[in-house]
Amino acid sequence: MRGSHSIRESAGDRTFNLIILIFLVLFACLMAVPMIAELAVSFSSKIASQTGTIGLVPVGFTLASWDFMVRNSGLWSSIGISVASTALVVVISLAINAMLAYPLSKKRFAPARFLVLVVVFTMIFKAPTIPYFLALRGYGLYNNFWAMVIPQVISAYNLLVMRSFFQSFPAEIEEAAEIDGCGKFRMFFQIVLPSSKAVIATVGLFYGVGAWNQYATPLMMIQDTALFPLQLKIHQLVNAASGDIAAAVKVSTANYTNDTLGAAAVIFSMIPVLLIYPFVQKYFAKGAMLGSVKG
Amino acid sequence: MTDVRRRRSRLARHFREFWPYYVMILPGLTFLILIRYVPMAGSIIAFQNFSLRKGIWQSPFVGLENFRKLLAYDDFYRVFRNTLILGGLKMLLVFPVPILLSLLLNELRYPRVKKGIQTVVTIPHFISWVIVGGLTFDVLGAGGILNQARALMGMEMILPMQKSAWFRPVYVFTSIWKESGWGTVVYLAAISGIDPGLYESASIDGASRFQKMTRITLPMILPTAVTLFLINMGSFLDLGFDQVFNLYTPMTYDVADIFDTYVYRSGIQQGKYSFSTAVGLFQSVIGLALVVLFNHLSKKVSEDGGLW
Repeated sequence: MRGSHSIRESAGDRTFNLIILIFLVLFACLMAVPMIAELAVSFSSKIASQTGTIGLVPVGFTLASWDFMVRNSGLWSSIGISVASTALVVVISLAINAMLAYPLSKKRFAPARFLVLVVVFTMIFKAPTIPYFLALRGYGLYNNFWAMVIPQVISAYNLLVMRSFFQSFPAEIEEAAEIDGCGKFRMFFQIVLPSSKAVIATVGLFYGVGAWNQYATPLMMIQDTALFPLQLKIHQLVNAASGDIAAAVKVSTANYTNDTLGAAAVIFSMIPVLLIYPFVQKYFAKGAMLGSVKG
Repeated sequence: MTDVRRRRSRLARHFREFWPYYVMILPGLTFLILIRYVPMAGSIIAFQNFSLRKGIWQSPFVGLENFRKLLAYDDFYRVFRNTLILGGLKMLLVFPVPILLSLLLNELRYPRVKKGIQTVVTIPHFISWVIVGGLTFDVLGAGGILNQARALMGMEMILPMQKSAWFRPVYVFTSIWKESGWGTVVYLAAISGIDPGLYESASIDGASRFQKMTRITLPMILPTAVTLFLINMGSFLDLGFDQVFNLYTPMTYDVADIFDTYVYRSGIQQGKYSFSTAVGLFQSVIGLALVVLFNHLSKKVSEDGGLW
């Protein structure tokens, strides 16, 4: 399509190109400004932060805030908790979702219709927050590491994405295998699953991002700061006029403030996402389409 | 007699053939029941005077008293109104942005620049609201970039995050910032499916690039937009606890408080379990009606529209 009508571009079309280019570049810059400004603050000195003179470049460049963040603040243990819970969510969710989605994709399996309704109903009617909280408490998840894993392992939306993938799996292959005497377990684990890597990657990434960024459930369930996942820790650090940051800022020789430390924490916690993003970008695009074209 | 036997043998045959499926379903179904259905059943405490000590089996039933209390409570109407206004603003101002953005991205003739812009605008989708909230507070804070710019122009300092009048714009802009790039993925996919022949014949007829964009591309992605619009209308009340919770301050509660944040404060923090469940149940039931209604509409508009 691009080749076919760029052969002869009129003057009007060239202006059009330029306007669009300028607009989009401006838009992208606006999107990037908050992150760049935050980066600048995190590398700026105490005086610059207190006088509020930091724009898009660091003023009085210093690594003091980053040094503090990387060394003292307990960020690492929170990262450990987030990494562990995310990894567990991905593994457990993929296992139980694939095993649930596959039978639901089979027309010959009579209960499938009803079970799909059971799944879809959780999308339509959401249990209120308080009974949800009380139920999780009842399972003994209060102040428990597993509170960040168990509630995250099943989502109707992702399940339906998987089901629609299994539905499009060529029936001939399965029929042929069945004639050769292949049982249902072997069919699923040795024939269907190995050729479902794309959907597994996509759905796994959705669960992974969800688990990594989860906030509300840990906020309700985790009071013990030693169990704080990264998101709660960041909230605590950014809003902290209390705790370790407040104590650290009182050290008068230190070259940081609440603001520079908070900025460093925010940028710091974005790093994992930015590092992984380029590798997984294509799967996310695939997943967004899988999900939206047919729910 | 033979009928019963036949039915029983059919059931036996069904289980002989499908028992592996039942085994596979079991873990997922168990989690679904534990995490989704048990809390649904627990909504019963909206009709009780629930206390943690007595538990769900011992707490006395009070009928509709919690709902009567809720309807007599000013806070409830404030929260309801805020939810409606923020939801409306979202549909009106945030929803169209990805459409516009994908139309423009599609017309961009420099593949490298296009890729770069797409990456920059999509990344925020993967950043949590805690971090977006932190960024917002810093950008709009006393020493933030907004006040830097204002100082340059000789304007006085403002603190938007502490002012009610600013909350709605902040809500809209952060929504756009975080999700508009991600939203383009669907539309760009729809655009890539348009028949190139349409553009070719338009070119022959002497259509300009702008005309092709507004007369071909836009109408062709409209069905996708309508479907998404209706699906979003169905989840109108789900404004996102994380976003509001990480953007509001006690100074902006009057316009920022939505059902989810209100329930969190009154229920989890103040322990008004039954009352907060009544509020939550009210939201869930209206939500249910909205989803069913708009799913029905979306199915009417397009064949494979709708969630189910």
